[in-house]
Amino acid sequence: MAEPITLPNKYLQLAYDWLDARFPLTPLIQFSAKKMVPLHPHTLWYYMGGICMVFVGVQLITGILLMVHYVPSFEGAYQSVMAINTKIPFGWLIRSMHSWGANLFILVLLFHMFSTYFMKAYRAPREFTWLTGLGLLAVAMVFGFTGYLLPLDEMAFFASKVGVDVAGSAPVVGELVANFVRGGTEIGQGTLNRFFTIHVIALPAALLGLLGLHLMLIQMHGISEPEYFLNKPKRKYEKFFPDFVMKDLLVWIVVFLILMLIVCMAPWHLGPVADPSAAAPIGIRPEWYFLSQFQVLKIMPSHFLFIEGEHLGMAIIGAAASTMVLVPFVDTGKNATISKIATVWGVVFLCALIVLTVWGQLS
Amino acid sequence: MSFPVWEVPGLGSGWMIGLVAILHVFISHFAIGGGAFLALTEQLAFKKNDDRLYDYLKKHSKFFMLITTVLGAVSGVGIWWTIGLANPSGAQLLIQNFSLFWAVEYLFFAAELVTFLAYYYTFDKIPRATHLKLGWIYFGVSFLTLFAINGILTSMLTNGAWPQTMNVWEAYFNAAFVPALMIRLFIMFALAGIYALITANQLPESQQDVKTYLLKYSAKWMLPALIAGPLMVVWYLFTLPPATQQVILAGISSMGEGNFSILARTIFLCITFATSLIGLVFVGPYLNPKGFNGAFAAMIFVAAFGFMFTEEWSREMMRKPYVMYNYMYSNGLVKKEIDTVNRVGFFNTNTWAKAQASTLASSDALGRGELVFRYQCMSCHTPTGNGYRSMERLLGERDENAIKNLITLMRDNHVMLEEKEKDAEGKEVIVRKAKTPYNGFMPPVVGTQAELDALAVYLQSISKKGMAAAAEKAATPAQLTAQAPHTPATAG
Repeated sequence: MAEPITLPNKYLQLAYDWLDARFPLTPLIQFSAKKMVPLHPHTLWYYMGGICMVFVGVQLITGILLMVHYVPSFEGAYQSVMAINTKIPFGWLIRSMHSWGANLFILVLLFHMFSTYFMKAYRAPREFTWLTGLGLLAVAMVFGFTGYLLPLDEMAFFASKVGVDVAGSAPVVGELVANFVRGGTEIGQGTLNRFFTIHVIALPAALLGLLGLHLMLIQMHGISEPEYFLNKPKRKYEKFFPDFVMKDLLVWIVVFLILMLIVCMAPWHLGPVADPSAAAPIGIRPEWYFLSQFQVLKIMPSHFLFIEGEHLGMAIIGAAASTMVLVPFVDTGKNATISKIATVWGVVFLCALIVLTVWGQLS
Repeated sequence: MSFPVWEVPGLGSGWMIGLVAILHVFISHFAIGGGAFLALTEQLAFKKNDDRLYDYLKKHSKFFMLITTVLGAVSGVGIWWTIGLANPSGAQLLIQNFSLFWAVEYLFFAAELVTFLAYYYTFDKIPRATHLKLGWIYFGVSFLTLFAINGILTSMLTNGAWPQTMNVWEAYFNAAFVPALMIRLFIMFALAGIYALITANQLPESQQDVKTYLLKYSAKWMLPALIAGPLMVVWYLFTLPPATQQVILAGISSMGEGNFSILARTIFLCITFATSLIGLVFVGPYLNPKGFNGAFAAMIFVAAFGFMFTEEWSREMMRKPYVMYNYMYSNGLVKKEIDTVNRVGFFNTNTWAKAQASTLASSDALGRGELVFRYQCMSCHTPTGNGYRSMERLLGERDENAIKNLITLMRDNHVMLEEKEKDAEGKEVIVRKAKTPYNGFMPPVVGTQAELDALAVYLQSISKKGMAAAAEKAATPAQLTAQAPHTPATAG
């Protein structure tokens, strides 16, 4: 028999008791109360996962609201987004929350990934937690790519065209993939149909599935503790529920406030309508989270030995990404030298990402 | 408009007032709400005979004294300093019109300072009952400073028929007097709790129970105020002039385009800050005082500053383009003098501009135009670059003709047209409509046609197209020189 839960406020207690009688909350809470959160100087990074969840919620809710008014046709898409921005009450707010939310989501996912990496939380038994996390990052980036085209303004159209063309230049299957993604040889209604379907059906399903698995694995294995913390003679912990959750809630409110601050001060822009027959405007570049890859391709020579420069760039990007997938199986914690190499590689990877992104933005 | 111009590169003088004033408001509101907090908490300590609460109050009142009497006094003087430089005409109008009320406010302010110093330095030196009375007296006089200044501040937007009657009592006890007073009172109580969070968090771990009690107690100061405050804001919005309400509504419907929507977006942000604060206070110090720490207290403090910033900024923006509604524009131009200035000429009605213009040749259109810009536009605009409301950026791709047309439009910016329209029942009604889309956002441009033409020349020179043309013109001789040695060879 579970111990009753006592709340500090009588009205909250009444509401809780009413709900608990109908839905067994107490056992769940007591399960959560057994979970402990380690307290150390890097505890701050444990909040990143929760912040990602806030953005998932924001993206799902605002995405559904946008779908009510968005018209996925090559002729009507731009007009419908314009109407969302200017005619539909608070449409600008929902669209800006969705667009800014997507960017912040990827940024926080990167923070989450690198903090997990440097705390070596990918090691056994959490290899699948790490891999599902990487999968979620990949899904978020494809979300960004497919969503970017949907307003069909000039920048969206040409940036997507460049993006698909880059994929098309991959050896052997490139053209096949590009034609499949475009639904033909040019960006058109077929492309919009594909991007829209992927964006609103396939990716949300993949996201929710991966997220469920990721959260389940976290529940199964508990919160990872860094090696230096485990070696401490005295370790401090706090209960996941209610102590950590209450703090998490505060952080969520602050994150939401930051999102609103950005949204209100810099509503998401809608450029001029795309003209497929016009020349691409100067300065076309992808969203910031694709800039590092874009920059690698840009700085490659036309040929290196017998390999095409673009193919070499793709190979480098693929190899770098693969190290992230393989790291839990290489750095298992049994070999101190490999552990150090993994840390140094993480620093190099992160620095390269930042430098290439800034370089891509400035060039 | 007969004062020199204070140029603040990049930021603009208006922002200087804003920054100093918002900092001062954040402190001065604490000075009043914090007074109520001290008195009521001491009442509680007295009733419970709780020495631990008394100890906390001594520490809190030291923090209170440093913040309110040092930072508060410095920033208060800073406001007069900056408005005197940035908007001397507006400062002059407020001082002359409300001399009596300023004097009363100053009297209460002096009493406030004296009472608080007496309160702080007599802890444990006079009977506790007497000390408590000092606390209440402090709160009383500090509230009266608010009461005195509230009428002056609200009259700047909701002055009713004052521009016609010039009856100062009508301006002072205006429609927004009570709701604005209530809003400020609630903000003060909330701020008292927010500042108390900071000091309560400084208590050592050995006093964890007092700390927990005080954190929850502080939350109880904030929550009712944060919930009731927005209701007063709704009341306040209903007291605003219809034209101001229209500006807010227009901004709401055109936010995505970004045109003149900054006011509506800032109001929306202000509401978000207020609701977030409710959430932060409820989940933090109210529900979980034991787990609450300094970092979260700092977050609440920053959010409260954000709320105050957006609230004060919105209140100031609602009044635009006036400094005194329906009477004096933000550049110091008096509405009833527009026709005279247009007829006689701007340089003949502005003492300082006239003196400066006399040093320029009558053919120097660029110089004279720059003078018109400095006196009429620079209270809100910076000229070039990425400065605040930079004209280079706002003029965009406009060419010479487009700039002239814009100035012609701006000259009629105060004109209201009467048009016949049919109402819902099909009856013909007369509707007053602004002649230009800038009406309600910007003052009209004034002066003779020659002065306005000079302004157009200057604006053209700082526009993108104007600067590009000037650069091209400057580059041409150099290029010709560089190409010169090649020309004969090529020809040969």
